[in-house]
Amino acid sequence: MTEKKKAKLTPVLDYLKHEDPFAKGVAFCPGCGLELLLRFIPQVMGNDIVITGTPSCSAPVLLGQNNQSWHKLSYFGTLMTGAAANATGLARYYKKAGIDNTVVCFNGDGTAADIGFGNLSGAAERNEPFIYICYDNEGYMNTGVQKSGTTPYGATTTTTPFGAASKGKNLRRMNLALKMAMHKIPYAATATLSDLGDLAKKLLKAKEMKEKGFCFLHVFAPCPTGWGAAPDNTIEICRRAVKTNYFPLWEAENGKIRMTKTIKKPKPVKTYTELMKKFKFMDEEDHKILQDDVDYEYCILGGLSVLEAECQLPLPADE
Amino acid sequence: MNTKAKERSQIKVITGNAAAAIGAKLARPDVVAAYPITPQTEVIEQISSFHASGEMDCELITVEGENSAMNAVMAASLAGGRVFTASSSWGLVFMYDAILATAGARAPVVMVNVNRETPGIIAVSSGQQDMISTRDSGWIFLIAENCQEVLDLVLQAYRLAEDYDIQVPVMVHYDGFYLSYLSEVVDVPFQEDVDQFLSVLKDQPQRTTLKPGKKLGCGSHGILGGYLELRHKHVTAMERSKAKFDQIDKEYEEIFGRSYGGQIEKYKMDDADVVLVGSGSMCGTIKSVIDEKREQGIKIGLLKMRMYRPFPSEKMIAALKGKKAIGVVDRSLNFGFKGGPIYTELKSFESKLEGAKLVSFIDGIANTDITKENVGKMIDMTGDLANGKDVQEVTWVSYPEAQGGI
Amino acid sequence: MSEVRFHGRGGQGVVTTSKILANAFARTGQFGASFPMFGFERRGAPVTAFGRFSDKPVREKTQIYYPDVLVVLDPSQQNSDAVFQGLLPDGMMLLNSSEKEVDVSHENLKKLGVVDANKIALEEIGLPIPNTVIAGAFAKLTGLLDIEPVANALEDYFEGSKLEGNIVCAKRGFEEVALYEF
Ligand SMILES: Cc1ncc(C[n+]2csc(CCOP(=O)(O)OP(=O)(O)O)c2C)c(N)n1
Ligand code: SF4
Repeated sequence: MTEKKKAKLTPVLDYLKHEDPFAKGVAFCPGCGLELLLRFIPQVMGNDIVITGTPSCSAPVLLGQNNQSWHKLSYFGTLMTGAAANATGLARYYKKAGIDNTVVCFNGDGTAADIGFGNLSGAAERNEPFIYICYDNEGYMNTGVQKSGTTPYGATTTTTPFGAASKGKNLRRMNLALKMAMHKIPYAATATLSDLGDLAKKLLKAKEMKEKGFCFLHVFAPCPTGWGAAPDNTIEICRRAVKTNYFPLWEAENGKIRMTKTIKKPKPVKTYTELMKKFKFMDEEDHKILQDDVDYEYCILGGLSVLEAECQLPLPADE
Repeated sequence: MNTKAKERSQIKVITGNAAAAIGAKLARPDVVAAYPITPQTEVIEQISSFHASGEMDCELITVEGENSAMNAVMAASLAGGRVFTASSSWGLVFMYDAILATAGARAPVVMVNVNRETPGIIAVSSGQQDMISTRDSGWIFLIAENCQEVLDLVLQAYRLAEDYDIQVPVMVHYDGFYLSYLSEVVDVPFQEDVDQFLSVLKDQPQRTTLKPGKKLGCGSHGILGGYLELRHKHVTAMERSKAKFDQIDKEYEEIFGRSYGGQIEKYKMDDADVVLVGSGSMCGTIKSVIDEKREQGIKIGLLKMRMYRPFPSEKMIAALKGKKAIGVVDRSLNFGFKGGPIYTELKSFESKLEGAKLVSFIDGIANTDITKENVGKMIDMTGDLANGKDVQEVTWVSYPEAQGGI
Repeated sequence: MSEVRFHGRGGQGVVTTSKILANAFARTGQFGASFPMFGFERRGAPVTAFGRFSDKPVREKTQIYYPDVLVVLDPSQQNSDAVFQGLLPDGMMLLNSSEKEVDVSHENLKKLGVVDANKIALEEIGLPIPNTVIAGAFAKLTGLLDIEPVANALEDYFEGSKLEGNIVCAKRGFEEVALYEF
């Protein structure tokens, strides 16, 4: 490794203060973004978190199989339909019993954006004292790659396949992180695996802010198997998602948005989509729709973060 | 199963899930809404690909969760549409409030449920516990033994649900993994034959539907007037559905050359002293063991339940009375009762069985396989009972550690 | 009825092999049924599938504990106890292996077929997916069916140039499998 690269990496390594609680070889596909994230979280936040997980790609590793487990964390297997409510129950009891805790409710986009969104929104509204992390692989991967609410326009999945009457998903993805920030929770942020320092900071911030209430982290985590991408391209995909503004990095305290990384000259979204087979049926027109969507969302974000400087939102009084 | 010689057929090797999806396609539903779950996922993937290729002209709603799937098809059905959905285990129970409401509204929804266990969130194994958990919802429940029967039952289900005299939703159950993923030979019906089979539904009086401008409300029943009457009508419609199902099965044979005996299928029952009662995919295995045992001179038969709700009481009593001993095989538990659910229900008819003795077998749950050895064991134990030996009331066949009849 | 157990790894097309064979039997007017053992699916994880082939309808819906034929797509499992478990006397085994001399032995093993299916697949379809070569070799080893129905069955699983390449794979499997009797 060159000295320069090493120097660049050191700050990230500094965040890894705790051991990796996971066994070495675990049941994820090669190049899985979710695996990287799952190993990273306890190394930054500590091994004393209580982590919940649903049926999903994380389940074989996070929840183990019957009586075999792949890690040393305290974990709780939740249903997809009630994950945030399970986490609420844990966190509220610990609070009542005076037990120091960091409850991390860890879910895919299928749970967070779709089937479990109702109770996620409810927990945010009640400002429950735990951290919700959504790893976004833009689909239901564990059941074999079906579309979810965060699957982008143009992507093929097994429920939005290519065919004579279809070219893939014909609707634009929802912006889950922004929706959560609009709950005006103490902390909401986006992050991804190409910017680990940023991710680590946000994890630590969430740990601190959860004393004030609900924290939400939306982490973009590529799925080589479901996206038709080379396993060694995972980080590059994240990097390009950021550089094209397909997945901008920002945070919001009490609903006030601040960009944590601004891209001076965003690349066309095509430089991102070309890395994945799931976009291979998109023509110029489809790319324009996707590009317009990316530009539109970025514009809203930008607008919101500018507004933040101008309006002074009344903050809830500290306890 | 009876099969008649036919002039033409369309033989395919497909899975139980594909059979369900093709059955749904052939029925030409107006609205399909579903959410993926193992081991049902292939059903909605196949339907999505039929939809994408233009082969299936329906409104396809890829909902954000099963509860929405059931609510969407219930409403579409009440508006007058033909609908389809599919689920399994956690998905099925996540529909539960809407399942009850669908039955209460007498919406003729047809769905398949791919049976799967429900004790832990990732309990990915076969078992009919999900069926038992939704048993008392007021739906008609049918159970398939093999991939062919999955397809045939989906088509028959539409005839039953949408019959003017019935109007009760129908759920077709088939075993997860053992049938959902089993590839076997299936004779796929031709579209024009299916159209003919279902055309009867068009000739009957129009059922009440919610249409713009009709000044008709729905969904507000349950307070004051008419509530009790509605409940009673529902129960009597379910009673009627038994004979109706037998009749539909016969008509099916006329067009497709296959019939199964309606509510129950009897396999080598006529001269049998000893009978096993089963349902679903286990029946295939049981039949082949019966053939082996018969070669040894043991007079054993099988009563296969094809209809589980309404309970085919009359047919079962007629077929079982006077037998020496009956072993009931349950692929689920009846918490709070020692025996399995079907056993417990059959037990309530014991006085009408003219002395036939009953025992309960629990097998095929919690990742266990109903093996030929296990079936042999059940037959031997039921035979022992017939011969006057002492046999414990309940046996967990794959769990010898279970002692003392529980 | 012949009961066949397939052993391989995720990504090798183990389940498809068993489906293709069931399909091929159906094309000869016979009956076939196949299903996978279930568990978490991951590329590289061990996969087991079961196949029953017969001139009468197959009714059994249970796993296979006493196979007549073993089909091993993953050579690293060739001598594992799990693979040989329950093999009936006069048993057969089809093995995907690049070794010139393979070292497998079991008291009930009567006939062995060895084919370098990965190599053939690489040459014909450019991917080391051995399943269709194995399906062709199965026909030769067992003599239960001809290569034609196997090749024809492929049309239900592949399209276009992939179909053509896989037909060649199956035919080469049939031709090139080396047979040994014990
Ligand atoms: C109520 C319910 N419906 C469906 C399922 C089936 N299921 C298991 S995993 C999964 C997909 C999960 O998607 P996501 O949360 O995005 O996680 P990923 O698989 O992508 O890691 C589904 C639909 C379930 N477990 N529970
Ligand atoms: S399918 Fe995708 S998300 Fe799931 S383990 Fe594989 S790479 Fe990871």
